[in-house]
Amino acid sequence: MSIGPVNFISPVTGVSPVSTGLAPAEKVSLGAGAGFGSMLADHLGSVRNAQAATDTAAVQAATGDLGDVHDYMIKSAQSGIMTELTVAVRNKAVEAFSEIMRMQV
Amino acid sequence: MGLFDAMSIAGSGLTVHRKWLDAVSDNLSNINTVKPTSEEAFRQRYVVAQAVDYGSGRGGATVAGVIFGNAEGRLVHEPGHPLADEGGYVRYPDIDMSSQMTQLIMAQRGYQANIAVVERAQSAYQAALQLGRGGS
Repeated sequence: MSIGPVNFISPVTGVSPVSTGLAPAEKVSLGAGAGFGSMLADHLGSVRNAQAATDTAAVQAATGDLGDVHDYMIKSAQSGIMTELTVAVRNKAVEAFSEIMRMQV
Repeated sequence: MGLFDAMSIAGSGLTVHRKWLDAVSDNLSNINTVKPTSEEAFRQRYVVAQAVDYGSGRGGATVAGVIFGNAEGRLVHEPGHPLADEGGYVRYPDIDMSSQMTQLIMAQRGYQANIAVVERAQSAYQAALQLGRGGS
């Protein structure tokens, strides 16, 4: 049996772009860096407020104006936890950043 | 509900029970306060506790007010007392010591229960902070 010669394959003229349904050039507004930064700033603000409330309660406890002992202890526990949370968030962010910086180009 | 609601709610409960303890202490310290019959007797203090935003908001408790008890008191016949009137009667407050001691125990146990809530909530939040510590 004989094998016919290979025919010349017509080149690919043009491929219509795949329609995904998304509007073109629609930038995602919340980039990873901007969102995280504003979240951290809000968080630091609330941590500062919590620490200010704790300091006020501490002054009241020292001068004898404090009505409730448990009030000061709860406020100091809350501000301690919030500070630890902020430190943990910062550690994670630094870790992720240095992980990326370590990438070989 | 926010971040530390369990601790704040327990804190409000602690305040209510502390005020209850103060009221019981006030009643017990004045249990032998004698008044002449021309004045009203020492009135027993009742602390009225009220739920805050029941079912819809922050939760917790607050003291809505203090109610004063019976002004009549008990008329006791003590003719030798300097404050006694012509019949020899003086007014003692109408406070039952045994019921006040019961309330004292209830207030103390309520206070301890709220403290247990605060401690448990604090250790729960600390455990949540440990979540991300191990891996990267």
